[in-house]
Amino acid sequence: MPEIYALAQTPITSHAFSADRSQLAASLNSNDAQIFTRQGAEWISTVTLSEHDKLITSIDWAPNSNRIVTCSQDRNAYVWQEQPDPETGRLIWKPTLVLLRINRAATYVKWSPKEDKFAVASGARAIAICSFDPENNWWVSKLLKKPIRSTVLSVDWHPNNVLLAAGSADMKARVFSAYIKEVDDRRVSFIRYCWLLNSRKVNRPAPTVWGSKLPFNTICGEYASPAGGWVHAIGFSPSGDVLAFASHDSSINIVYPNGPVIYNIRMPTLPLVSLTWTSEDTIIAAGHDCRPLVFSGTANGWQEAGTLDDATAPKSPESRSGFGSSSSVGRLKAGAFATFRDADTRGQSSIAGSASPTADTKVLTIHQNTITNVRPYAYSGTNVTKVSTSGVDGMLVIWDVDAVTALTGRLGGAHLR
Amino acid sequence: MDQAFRKIDIDIYDEDVLQESELYEADPRDPVEVLEDAKQRQAAVRSFLAKNDIPGALTIILDNAPYGPNVDDAKIITLQTLLTILNTTKSTEITGVIKGLSLDTQDTLMKYLYKGMAMPGWGDISGSVRLGWHEKLTEVAGVGCIVRTMTDRRTV
Repeated sequence: MPEIYALAQTPITSHAFSADRSQLAASLNSNDAQIFTRQGAEWISTVTLSEHDKLITSIDWAPNSNRIVTCSQDRNAYVWQEQPDPETGRLIWKPTLVLLRINRAATYVKWSPKEDKFAVASGARAIAICSFDPENNWWVSKLLKKPIRSTVLSVDWHPNNVLLAAGSADMKARVFSAYIKEVDDRRVSFIRYCWLLNSRKVNRPAPTVWGSKLPFNTICGEYASPAGGWVHAIGFSPSGDVLAFASHDSSINIVYPNGPVIYNIRMPTLPLVSLTWTSEDTIIAAGHDCRPLVFSGTANGWQEAGTLDDATAPKSPESRSGFGSSSSVGRLKAGAFATFRDADTRGQSSIAGSASPTADTKVLTIHQNTITNVRPYAYSGTNVTKVSTSGVDGMLVIWDVDAVTALTGRLGGAHLR
Repeated sequence: MDQAFRKIDIDIYDEDVLQESELYEADPRDPVEVLEDAKQRQAAVRSFLAKNDIPGALTIILDNAPYGPNVDDAKIITLQTLLTILNTTKSTEITGVIKGLSLDTQDTLMKYLYKGMAMPGWGDISGSVRLGWHEKLTEVAGVGCIVRTMTDRRTV
């Protein structure tokens, strides 16, 4: 069964867990980010990170270096690091400014796999690739600009720490090189080089399926969905050899660059806005349909495998009251339609006298509104075993990746009948 | 308060503005060729309708339908032909016909239904016929089909 936490009554803009999953950074649709600490079955807000003066749009927490990066509509990003306070000696989160040099809102932020860089997507038709400048003790950025024609909505790093995929409102998904010489080409001793080579952390970018010579801002690929639409979400597979992106035409595309072969899966439901790979052959994606969908496939083809949210399973009385008997009738008829019909023919008002006034407005899914974030939560080897989702309904849900239910004949919360 | 400034097209002062043509791949065919093609299809549809082959007629008219700028005449002919097909289909057959169409054809059909509904009183067809088709197409292809109609810049 999925773990369900009601974090807030407001939308959760973004969430990110600490490495040991005991803490959670989230922004509740405000200028502040909050760190929640797990206490039993509850998440208690323990720290507030306030530095931004407009809405925070995205948060990412680096697991190894334990640094949080936040970005906001105020065109800034901050890197937060836990340091002892010089006076009291207690650990506090200290912000460092990032020189982004963008003139529109920052929309999305993501640490690179080695955590020595991060990418900030923005409305300024640019992606800022940020790295630390020890001389001045701040983060500097280099902008990926060409050929982006509109707001960048999401980015994802290739496991080699150099390539970056970006989905944009100009209907394109692109793969860039974000190679920064100062970071990615540090000379290392021979012994360390051998160790790095062994542990696959070698600094020079090895040739990949996306290309071999990779100076900054090389475009390694540009893809679009047949019916267009903003590219909301993008992600490399664990190996980095396959790319998936979801766009606003209610479809998900899986790209194999050699060929190139693009599998386009059209869905009968509303668009997806976030996705994550759980293994080389599985993707979990979610969006306006309020439930996580599972896609599976190989280089020979992809299909929808089902959903993690079994809307017809026995419901816990608390989370899904009032919908047990109405499976044959769509949500609209059972909800709004019945409300007006009763008001019209029987003079009943469900607002004043009904036994459970909220029952009529509940949807069948666990999330009660759009899911805006899907993130890996627990791993087994390289495969993800659990994912976490958060959304506009203020809920945080942790799902078991294996608990897939087939979709056939099932109706989602927002499916019209 | 003076609100005229709200109507100023500020994009014309932006040198780097995003053009409509950058958002989708243009139809490689010549507009004249597209118009000829549309007329030929109109004739082909008539022969299909004479044989009462509705799915065949729909596939002929909807596959490679004209889109983009400079092909307005071809679009009108296609819409006219399509509305004739919709009108001659018995309402009990609609669901079966739609299920036989490919995903691409279903999406294009939805685009034409919306185009038809945006031109009320145009053509020899009542609104209830179009709404009937819309209802049944949504049952088969889902709301995703409507979403694709709204996002796709290859307007018909």
